[in-house]
Amino acid sequence: MRLPRKYQGGKAVRNTRFRWLALTLAVGLALAAMSCKGSSKSTATPQATGTQPAAATGTQPAAFTGTVKVGISTTLSGAIAQLGKNGLQGVTLAVDDLNAKGGLLGKKIEVVSADDQAKPDVGSTNVRNMILNDKVVAVFGPVSSAVAAAEEGIAAQNKIPIFFHTSNDTVLMTKQFTKYGFQVVPNTTMEPRAIAAYACQQPYTKWATIGPDYSYGHDTVDTFIKDLKACKPGVEVVNAQWPKLGSSDFTPYISAIQSAKPDALFLAIYGGDLVTFSKQAAGYNLAKQMKMFGAYSISALQPLGADAPAGGVTWFRAPIYLPDGTPGVDNAKIKTFIDQYHAKFGQWPGIFSILAYSAVQTWADGVKKANSFDGDKIAAALPGVTVSTVRGDIKIRACDHQAEIPEYVGTLSDQVNSTYGFRTPTNVFIGQPDKIMLTCAESEALRGK
Amino acid sequence: MDLGNVAIQLLSGMTVAGYLFMVSAGMTLVFGAMRVINIAHGSFYMYAAFIVAAIVGKGTGASGMFWVALLVAPLIVAAMGTATEVTIMRRIYTKEHLTQLLATFALFYIFADVALQIWGGAFRSVQAAPVLTGQVNVLGRSFPKYNFFVMGVAVVVGVAMWLLLQRTKLGWRIRAAVEDPELLAATGTNVRLLFTTVFTIGALLAGVAGAVVAPLVSVAPGLDAGILVEAFIVAVIGGLGSIAGAAIGAIILGLFQAIGILWVPTWASAFTYIAMILVLAVRPWGLLGTPER
Repeated sequence: MRLPRKYQGGKAVRNTRFRWLALTLAVGLALAAMSCKGSSKSTATPQATGTQPAAATGTQPAAFTGTVKVGISTTLSGAIAQLGKNGLQGVTLAVDDLNAKGGLLGKKIEVVSADDQAKPDVGSTNVRNMILNDKVVAVFGPVSSAVAAAEEGIAAQNKIPIFFHTSNDTVLMTKQFTKYGFQVVPNTTMEPRAIAAYACQQPYTKWATIGPDYSYGHDTVDTFIKDLKACKPGVEVVNAQWPKLGSSDFTPYISAIQSAKPDALFLAIYGGDLVTFSKQAAGYNLAKQMKMFGAYSISALQPLGADAPAGGVTWFRAPIYLPDGTPGVDNAKIKTFIDQYHAKFGQWPGIFSILAYSAVQTWADGVKKANSFDGDKIAAALPGVTVSTVRGDIKIRACDHQAEIPEYVGTLSDQVNSTYGFRTPTNVFIGQPDKIMLTCAESEALRGK
Repeated sequence: MDLGNVAIQLLSGMTVAGYLFMVSAGMTLVFGAMRVINIAHGSFYMYAAFIVAAIVGKGTGASGMFWVALLVAPLIVAAMGTATEVTIMRRIYTKEHLTQLLATFALFYIFADVALQIWGGAFRSVQAAPVLTGQVNVLGRSFPKYNFFVMGVAVVVGVAMWLLLQRTKLGWRIRAAVEDPELLAATGTNVRLLFTTVFTIGALLAGVAGAVVAPLVSVAPGLDAGILVEAFIVAVIGGLGSIAGAAIGAIILGLFQAIGILWVPTWASAFTYIAMILVLAVRPWGLLGTPER
């Protein structure tokens, strides 16, 4: 029998109070470090960052005269890995479809991918390696806008076009603008404007808000309320809650919001927190008591199923799972994409999947128009033209390379869609590009041109 | 002041207290007997939630699998606890606190990555058994049935722990280990086996909490770190090593937070820490703890 050394002798511990405080402090620091890690939403440690070719596509048409590679460095580990995976799968499927139709300019396209761990320095290194070692001719962007900004510079230095399909900070096409960068997602100016435009049409004046207690949460809530007050006098915030990011229990927040009896609730919480909040809110029947406005992505709607708020307002960056007859949306084409994606990956595509798919289509159109894979030629050919994508025809604006695309705002269906197993948007309001985009003059002013 | 609002708010706070107690009870028990702060305790909690999600799957909850999962998940996690104790923990009892901290910290990351490999990063959702879903009317306001279930399980766990510690031989030995391990060893008790048992019970408690909380949260990576900070604060407020202290600490934290959220939402995030500072300023060893021997 061996006992802990501490218990063996009569070594009295002096200064117990200090020992205690030191221990508590040490654990506290460790936990703080951990929770910081948690709050950057990347609890996992690095995974292999090596590049890997996309799965070979069975039969190979004899027509190929060689291969060209495209790269995607995105977040494939940690808490936001799902978003990166959606994008990677979208790119992979698009490239497979191109190859099935004979590739581009007679060449077979190959995908190399790498994990950026949501870190700008890792993303830059990945992109540099892809360009220098793998000789990729185009790069598809990451999840995080901070990583995207770092990658944009590397791509420009090497004269390689880069297409952003997930990261959407306005800064990417303004302050960080390079002629090699292209954006196919409604940016962080367009989305809030569309949501505010929708909310202004609604009768709700008493609002409650809940956002994670850090800069993003406060910025998002403040911007929304400011925009709303500008177009709808009489709007007041009756309750504002700031839980910390990654809260596991929103119960007390939900009951406090309920007590304030607002007409509507604006949710700036997202991802796993939004899923947790909505599950717990369903227990309180919150959706029946107030209009819930939240960023319900497919990755949140899917696990929530019937627990997603029926009639809740959400916004989509791409026209997917929208009702038939939505203006400008070719549902037959999109349905084909959805089914193909599901057949290949065994899961329903997310919004970022279709955005990534359309980014590859945008690049492919650029290659065809330039009749070359050369970065400079594509950068000259794409601006100002209209490309054909699964999302419809999209014009790439010449002044800042931002795609002229709408943002879709809708209410979640009363019934869970029996095919997909989640609620889909109905009564769609379209934030038209000319109403929500920065003007070219504004965009260029931000660039400092 | 609307009485219904306050009642619902207090009940919401008690729900939080319920599962915080279950997590921190295991943590504090392990510390009491072995003087080790197990950072990987949150991992056991997360694994139980993942296992419940895996067993229940995407079904409607009507199949009764939920009850199976509720029983099986804590047992699997307890077995994980046994394995962890035998292979790793028992080698570090004699080491410095810092070494112990680093070792369990490392375990935390290893468990997190293994979970990511097994279950991936997607959010999962668990549907509770139909009998537990829906609302109960409390003073004219509706309150989720499931939250009562969480509080109920917490009470059962609390009572069971009390009975175990006060009324069984094993409990006497555990308490003796907390008080005076040397004397206990001298009486011929197999302290080594006792420590394995205690660690297993600790993991089991984390497992029960994780299994019970699964239908209330998005089951995904990060659950482990999310719970750990609050559970640790509860254990420290109550006094590391004291189960009753953990219960009191959880209630203080849950109610303090709930009231803060209702009346001064801007400062709600700080309330947890204010509670901890106040208690530690007066009693550095926690409410029911004892100063280190």
